[in-house]
This record gives sequence, structure tokens and C-alpha cells, in this order.
Amino acid sequence: MKQAVRDQLGPIVAAALLATIVWAWFWRPPFSWTFGVLVVIGTVGAGIADGRYALRRLAGVIPVLVGVSFVVFALMASLPGDPAINILGPAATADQIAIVRTELGLDEPFFNRYGNWLGGVLTGDLGTSIVLREDVADGISRSMTPTLQIMAYSVVIALGFAIPLGIWAGYRQGTKTDGTINNVMLGFLATPNFVLAVMLVLFLSIGGLSVAGNEIGFRVLPAARYVPLGEDVVLHFKHMLLPSLALAMGQAAVFMRLLRSDMIATLRLPFIDLARSKGLPTRRILWRHALRPSSFTLLTVVGLTVGLLIGGALIVEFIFTIPGVGAYIFLGVTQRDFIAVQGGVLVISTLYIVVLTMSDFLYLALDPRLRGREVGARA
Amino acid sequence: MRKRLGILFWLAVAYLVVLAVAAVFADVLPIKDPAETFAGTSKQGPSLTHWFGNDGVGRDVFSRVIYGAQVSLVISTVGTVLALVIGGLLGMVSGYYGGRVDRWLTAAMNASLVIPSLILFLALVLFLDSEAKRRIFILVFTFVLLSIAPIARVVRAATLSWAGQDFVLAARTLGARDGRVLFREILPNVAPSFVSYSLIIMAGLIVVEGSVAFLGLSVPPPTPTWGDMINKGRTNLDVAAHISLMPAIVMFVTVLALNFVGDKLQQYFEPRESVL
Repeated sequence: MKQAVRDQLGPIVAAALLATIVWAWFWRPPFSWTFGVLVVIGTVGAGIADGRYALRRLAGVIPVLVGVSFVVFALMASLPGDPAINILGPAATADQIAIVRTELGLDEPFFNRYGNWLGGVLTGDLGTSIVLREDVADGISRSMTPTLQIMAYSVVIALGFAIPLGIWAGYRQGTKTDGTINNVMLGFLATPNFVLAVMLVLFLSIGGLSVAGNEIGFRVLPAARYVPLGEDVVLHFKHMLLPSLALAMGQAAVFMRLLRSDMIATLRLPFIDLARSKGLPTRRILWRHALRPSSFTLLTVVGLTVGLLIGGALIVEFIFTIPGVGAYIFLGVTQRDFIAVQGGVLVISTLYIVVLTMSDFLYLALDPRLRGREVGARA
Repeated sequence: MRKRLGILFWLAVAYLVVLAVAAVFADVLPIKDPAETFAGTSKQGPSLTHWFGNDGVGRDVFSRVIYGAQVSLVISTVGTVLALVIGGLLGMVSGYYGGRVDRWLTAAMNASLVIPSLILFLALVLFLDSEAKRRIFILVFTFVLLSIAPIARVVRAATLSWAGQDFVLAARTLGARDGRVLFREILPNVAPSFVSYSLIIMAGLIVVEGSVAFLGLSVPPPTPTWGDMINKGRTNLDVAAHISLMPAIVMFVTVLALNFVGDKLQQYFEPRESVL
């Protein structure tokens, strides 16, 4: 009896979650775009894999989201100093302060304020920025596009480096080739992305070092400024290449190391011997037979690194003056605009959680051996 | 078969020791005052008197790099040690007791991994921003908060595999209390894996401190920090690249050395192919 109720609960809650997401974000183009893609991936993945497990996981996401929203709100609500004075400046009269406090709803009890804010969040209303005097949801959705672009390009670049190198190093395990690839990648792993960004600017954009009058470096790529994709496609990619590269190489190293070790394990399995004895060419065995079963850990980790990428995107946006979400939050922090910061942090954390859950589903969809079994979510 | 650590390992260790000693004894070593402006020609490249050259206002880059190491090393070491104690304890308790304790702790750990680290840090800076002196405590506090979860997970996994062994069962059958089993039987076995992991965590913290300093939110000037030096040097990148390049190289080598030593130690202690 109890079990039957529990089985029903999962789908209902999950359906409610999906409805909420769609309802809240539908009318904001970049958001709906992002979440639309994520929901489609998730649903397809869940459908292919294990419907009930997927729904249970989705239902489990809700308390995490509520918890995060509470932490973010509580943190911002307990900021020292009166936000009203922050807005009005030190010369404000008591009457003015009282008016602004009522406007912001600061005189209500904590939980009422949290409830109001959460209610607003669910309908896509994140409040009005104190400094920019602008709707926070609008500001974030505007800044979301460049950030998502950088993140997407850098994941593509990272995988573009990691997959061939990982396969190759795994196949040539223990040889000089393997060692060289490993050491170079360890080097990239140890390069903080802002250091890499500065080096890329130095050597690819402004001509590099001049030693005895000779330039060691190039002036091939522009260093800063953001050109929207819709404005000029070629210029857009030219400007995005350096920031995306700066963000990608560290990830490429992580991905490559993972794929390499999984590749080594896969290549020891009997079905590889079978493929070899059938006389299949090595390239086909590596790319067709061995890659898929070796890529599961890689996929979960790609999901996990989205969080890292957001932090990295902030730095890269700062260096290359790109108006992304990181830059938006950074501006909010330096100007003590708590409404903008709490909105930004909430949106980014939500995005992260959703991506994480989706990557779990993808994991199930790709690996039939795991279906019907509980998977350690992020082990 | 005894594995060898190799010459590169000892070179990396030597570099780290030299850097640490130089940072600790910076005040008594015969190096220039890091705050003295126009100690040499402004923006002059590396030379025999100024090894790493001078920055935009003629300060000696080499001594600023050494003093900058103080900030990086102190913050990352203190952060790592505290995180190691707290995270290690939580991980061991979680792995050893299992059941409800484990479920709650694991849930809390997973939840704390949800907020991206740098973003969390920015929020905390906004939260606690006040006097510059307190900035260093905020930094350490945030770094501890950030590294507890990853450490606890590694330790939990290791504890889990040791807790099922026969010698643990034997100790418990003999009537040893939980505390004794945890600290005398399990800890010595778990320790190698988290000591080597802590070096990698430390490298990570140096990078985060660098990023934060780069954004101008770490320990404020005039105290030199690597991240801040790299950022300030960007304005002169076209005419005097060494101002950014030198601290960047030192930071790169430090992080690389820590990662390398951590990696090697892990392979050394762990007979199996190490898992992420």
C-alpha cells in the first residue's frame, strides 16, 4: 500500500517540477531556450533509460533547489548594513529610508520576505536591481547568452582535444607517446585559466615577447570585446576563440585523463579481442567499439565541470570584457547590489543542478548495463 | 616490486621546499624591499641586479614574487590543514557508521558542491566585506568550506573499504571502542590516500586564491599577491610582459609541482590503478 503511494508520488512531483520550470521561464527567450534543451535531453534520456528512476531523481532535485534558494536568501538577508542606506546614500533622511524599506519589504518578518521572494522567483520575477534600476531577470537573461556561448564552445574545444588524445594515449599505454601526452596535459591542468588567458593574449594577440628586437608571438586574434552572434558570425567566433580556449584547456586535461584510464580498462575486455580477431581495422575498433563503453565517466564529469566552468567563465569574462552572467554577478558584488547577486547566484546554481541531473540520465541512456539499478549519482 | 619516485619527483619537492623557505625567511634574506618604488628603472626587464625585472612603478618583481608566496602558501596551507581535519573526520565517521548518519552527511556534502565555488566566494566577500585585515580570515574560511566536501568524499570511500576488513572486525570483537577502531585501526590505513590528495587540494586552493587576487578581492595592496601582480601587469603587457609573466611562471610551476608530487605519492601508496 505505502509502496504503491510512493510509486505514484515520484511522477506527480516530477511532472509538477517540469510544469513549474516551463511556466516560469517560458516567456524569457534565452532561459526558455536553455531549459527547453535541457528538459528535452532529460526526458528523452529518461524515456530511453528507466522512467521511474529518472522521475525519482527529478523529484529529489526539488528539495535541493529549495535548500539552495533558502541559503542564498538567508546569506543576502543577513548582510551587515541597511540596504536602504546603500541605495539612498549616507545623506538620506529617516522618512526616505522608511519609504524605501517599505518598498523593498524589509520591515516584514524574515520568512514572509523569503516566501514573497520565492513566489516571485517561481513566476520569473527576481526583483529590481538596486544599482542598475533594471529587472534582474532581464539583466541575467541578457547576460546569459555570452556565458552559455563561452561554456558551450569551451566544452566542444575540450572534447575535441580530449577524445582523440585520450583514445590515442590509452591505446599506446606505457609508451613514450602516452607519457608525452600525459605530461603536456598535466601542464595544462596546472595552468590557472586566468594565467592561460593572459598568456594567450600575450602570444596570439599582441605580438608576444620581443627579444633583441624580434617578436616571439603573433598578432592574429583580437583580445577583447564581445560581438553578438547575430551581428557578425565570423567576428563573433574570432572574438570568442581566445576566451573559450583559455577555459577549455584545463577541462581538456581532466577529460583526457579520464578517457585514457577508462579506455585502458575497456581495451582489456574480451570483446575487443573478438573484434581484432575478426580482422577489423584498429581505427574502427577504437572509435566504434571501445569509445562508447569508455565514455560514461567522462560524461558525468562533463556535467560536473559545468560548475567549474561558471567560475572560470567569470574570470574569462573579466579579462576579455564580455558582458556575461559572471560579469553581472561580479558587478553586483563590487557595488553591493544584493538583489542582483542573489538572483544571479540562484539562477546559476539552478542551472548547475539541472545539468548535473541531466548528465546522470544521459549516463543511463548510454549504458544499458546500469538500467534498473540505482546508480551512485555523482560517484 | 618497489616503485621508484623518480628524479622529477625530488626536483619538484626541492622546488617546493626552496619556495617555502624563501617565503618564510623573506624578511631576513638579502632581497629587496617589495614595497620600495623606483628601486630600479620602471618596467626594466630581467637583469643581474633585478632577477625578474621591475614593475610599472619600479618595484623589484623578484622580491614581490617571494613575498606574494607568503600569502599563497599561508592561505592554502592553513585552509588545507583545517579542511583535512574537518573533512577527514566527517568522511571517516560517515564511512564507518553508515546508515542514517552516512545518508545525512552525504546529502549535505552533495548539497555543498552545488554552488559554484568562485560564486560562493563572491557572495561571502559581499557578506563579510569590511576591514582589509579580516579578508584573510574570510579567504581561509571560504577555502575550508570549499574543500571539506571533496576531502570527505575521498576519505569516506577509503574508510568504507577498510571498515569491512578482518582486522577491524577482530579489533571490535576484542572490545575496542569506536574511537579506538577509527583512530588506531582505520586512520593509519586511510592516511596515505588523503595526505597525497591534500597536496592536490592545496594546489587547487592556490589557484582559487590567485583567481580571487586577480579579481582584486584577495588580501589588499600593498601586500603583494601573485594574482594581483599578474592582473596589474596586464596594462603593460605589450611593453613589459615580464611583470605579468614572472609571477605567472612561478605560480604555474608551484601548482604543477604540487600536483605532480600529489600524483606520484598517490601512485606510490596505491598499488591499484588510481581511480578518480
